[in-house]
Amino acid sequence: MSFRLAALSLVTTLSFSGAAAAQSTQDFDVVGTIPSVCAIDSPALSGGGAINFRGLNGTTLQVDQLADPATLATRAASARVSFAAVCSFPHTLALESESNGLWRDAGAGVPTGFASAIPYLAELTWGPVTGRLQADAMSRRTNQLNIDIDQAVSGEIIVDLDIQAGASNARANAPLIAGAYQDTIRITLEPQ
Amino acid sequence: MRRVFIAAAVWASLAASAAAQDTDQAGPIPITGNAPTFCTVGALQGADNVFDLGILVDTTTGLLLQSLSAPPKTLTGAFCNTGSTISISATPIEAQTLTGAPPSGHSDEVDFTATASGWTDVPAVFSTANGANPQATQTRATPFAGDIVVSIGSFETAGGSSLRMLADPVYRGSITLTLTTN
Repeated sequence: MSFRLAALSLVTTLSFSGAAAAQSTQDFDVVGTIPSVCAIDSPALSGGGAINFRGLNGTTLQVDQLADPATLATRAASARVSFAAVCSFPHTLALESESNGLWRDAGAGVPTGFASAIPYLAELTWGPVTGRLQADAMSRRTNQLNIDIDQAVSGEIIVDLDIQAGASNARANAPLIAGAYQDTIRITLEPQ
Repeated sequence: MRRVFIAAAVWASLAASAAAQDTDQAGPIPITGNAPTFCTVGALQGADNVFDLGILVDTTTGLLLQSLSAPPKTLTGAFCNTGSTISISATPIEAQTLTGAPPSGHSDEVDFTATASGWTDVPAVFSTANGANPQATQTRATPFAGDIVVSIGSFETAGGSSLRMLADPVYRGSITLTLTTN
């Protein structure tokens, strides 16, 4: 009788341990990170509708004929420049005109009645936002537009540049004094 | 002559009675045991159970890196003492702090494929991009002991490869490997 009890006890113990290990599991984690990234590609002339622009040379956009040869007043010019870009987090776009207009290189004084700077308008589109930067050439200074974008955006930053016929920092249709006129536009994507 | 015969018979009877008192017998007693069905995935080699992919994107484009990889992980000493089934499942690698749907053109999820090989002739494979994963479960009819190697690969941006990945300090997915007796 004592032998039989011992045997039964042994069988019961084995049965319990077997049920506990009929299945075995191992878990793994797969982890990574994505840093806050903003990137802007080189500019490209897009849309095929550039008027009175020679095109892009590297990052320089050159007006073909800045002055009307008959009146010496500003000729109209327009172009669309695009930049492939991406920002993987909420960010700020800054569009900056370094001189607030196309300004003639430093040189001799400006005779009365002549213009030495040309205003222009830059309109931008970036994902869900649009903005306008009026470089009015009323003073030579930095003019900057900041736009907060509360989401990641990828695609193209589109900048439409528009120089009106006859535009100047003097009166309308004022003749442009001879010289090279230029401005530098900077586009920056940065954390808010 | 008659007396002699009786005396011999009595002696023989007494001898038989003395033997019954010294030995006894019980049984036969059957001794039975049951070796239970048993599986273990064995011991995980290496420091931890984490596949660390590092930075997931090309920081100049924001697109998922095509070169993502992580070393496989090995489970040594796995065994089953009967026929068994190995199955693997996984969840996509998701941004852990972002909320809401990603803006247009973006994704916050990476699909991948997890593979468990070494246990069955055909590896168990689970792809988080697939709605159904019939290859994720494989069976073998015989007991087996050996190593199981778990690897990951075939990383894809959920929603399409043209989508940019959203920034997030922690992206996380998971894999579960299970051995079960048949």
